Amino acid sequence: MDGLLFFMEVVVGGLLAGTMYSLVALGFVLIFKASATFNFSQGAMVFFSVLAFCGFMQDFNIPFVLAFIMAALLMVVVGLCTERFVLRPLMNASEDTVLMATIGLGYVLEGLAQAAWGVEVRRLDLGIGDFPVPWIADNLKLFISALDITAGLVAALMIIGLFLLFKYTKIGLGLRAVADDAGAASSIGIPLKHIMLLVWSAAGVVALVAGCMWGARAGVQFALVDLALKALPVLIIGGFSSIPGAIIGGLIIGATEKVLEVYIGPFFGGAIEGWAPYVLAIFFLLYRPEGLFGEKIIRRV
Amino acid sequence: MSDNIENILDIKNIEVVYDNVILALHNVSLKVPKGKVVALLGANGAGKSTTLKAVSTMLASERGKVTKGSINYNGTSIEKQNPSQMVGLGMVQVLEGRRCFGHLTVEENIISGAYSRKLSKGDINQELEKIYGYFLRLKERRKSQAAFTSGGEQQMLAVARAMMAKPKMLLLDEPTMGLAPQLVAEIFNIVKELNQKEGVSILLAEQNTNIALKNSDYGYIIETGKVMLDGTAQSLLNNDQVKELYLGISKKGRKNFRDVLDEESLTKRNKGKNN
Repeated sequence: MDGLLFFMEVVVGGLLAGTMYSLVALGFVLIFKASATFNFSQGAMVFFSVLAFCGFMQDFNIPFVLAFIMAALLMVVVGLCTERFVLRPLMNASEDTVLMATIGLGYVLEGLAQAAWGVEVRRLDLGIGDFPVPWIADNLKLFISALDITAGLVAALMIIGLFLLFKYTKIGLGLRAVADDAGAASSIGIPLKHIMLLVWSAAGVVALVAGCMWGARAGVQFALVDLALKALPVLIIGGFSSIPGAIIGGLIIGATEKVLEVYIGPFFGGAIEGWAPYVLAIFFLLYRPEGLFGEKIIRRV
Repeated sequence: MSDNIENILDIKNIEVVYDNVILALHNVSLKVPKGKVVALLGANGAGKSTTLKAVSTMLASERGKVTKGSINYNGTSIEKQNPSQMVGLGMVQVLEGRRCFGHLTVEENIISGAYSRKLSKGDINQELEKIYGYFLRLKERRKSQAAFTSGGEQQMLAVARAMMAKPKMLLLDEPTMGLAPQLVAEIFNIVKELNQKEGVSILLAEQNTNIALKNSDYGYIIETGKVMLDGTAQSLLNNDQVKELYLGISKKGRKNFRDVLDEESLTKRNKGKNN
């Protein structure tokens, strides 16, 4: 019985931790849908946004909520500048060119963030401890971190919000149209630049939320940029173009890496959760390269 | 000035170059009188699509450029416009190959056509009903995903979507490509109806010369980026050259593909002898 409970605890903990991967992956998916580009600067956006948030709070003593709103607005400005100075000049360039541009954008954001707010690791206190919730520990005998549960709830809320935005608003319809066929969308008068602006701003806000969750756990530091790369196996499993895919991919990665770490890790001397997701991703690339929910890509040659 | 009022579209001697090197149109001039249907005919690669894209300003997204000549729409030059501004001015292109939004429902596809207009929910529903009046088939399929509808339905959807933008002028790029004859007739009937009831001027690129001319007022035939022949639809239908080259009918009667092949091999053999 104890063994089963322990297994449950590992899985639930893994699933909840997985929602944090989902949050990061969500940002990638948003941009991939609209511009068919893997946004290499997403990790830098996570770092930039949460560092700015910390900076507003700690250096200027701005209250939590206001600082969060300011950081979100800053990400909208970043989206605006990206559209104007990176995407618009590259409008007719190939996807590869845009991909390279996002790498460059990542470096710019990393540099700006460190120039503005310094390089030391900052502590981010969201008022939610990374400790087991006593009520759940007492009643269900499961030790689950409050931060994990919060991350799960926040991820769920973001997903519902994005779903409603895409399904029921005019600009959401425009975005889905652009995601399906950008050329046809512009032929009927959907302005691509508005859609790009929306998507980059949304991805920026999602990055901020993801950054808060990760920052509260691991500290706000440069390593967040690389942590965001964990979203890569998530996207390979879930599919690059699917929001549900990002969520479920995150859950799968979270749960498997924890289970593998606990039960198989000891045979490898531990710490396999760093690379186990990539092994899983390789199997997906071999047998189902479009991911679980991605669209099959058919290209006329 | 009276010329501008008569012709909603006036293309004068345009030259189009792709990627700064590939010359796609040499010298194309054409006019679309207000409220008329004009057919632009020619084989694959003749420059039909390029002409339409030059007009709708969609060329830029394909690295194409109008390097000579002028295009006037409704009395103003389109030089500085972009596609969404052109839609705002009432000029909408229905792209070759339908290009419906596959993951959206039929109804969402149609509504997306009204993106450039500021309409309330009620206005949109009213417009939708009006559009469904022309496209009865689409009403039946309003809830299905566009990707799962037939080719004919997708073509109708693409036209319906464009009509939602309330165009003064439609550019139709090969609306009958790959469709069964019955559907071709159905689509042309709808196009005619839209032209007559809504007063939309139409520039139509087609390979199906016969049916296109029968449904147009005027026709232009282009080959390798040049206008070779133009005239009223009736005169083109009766023109011997057009009959022979595009309608497959020669003076001796209907000509089939084998006759052409025989002729070709004969001329080749003769050439061989001459050498």
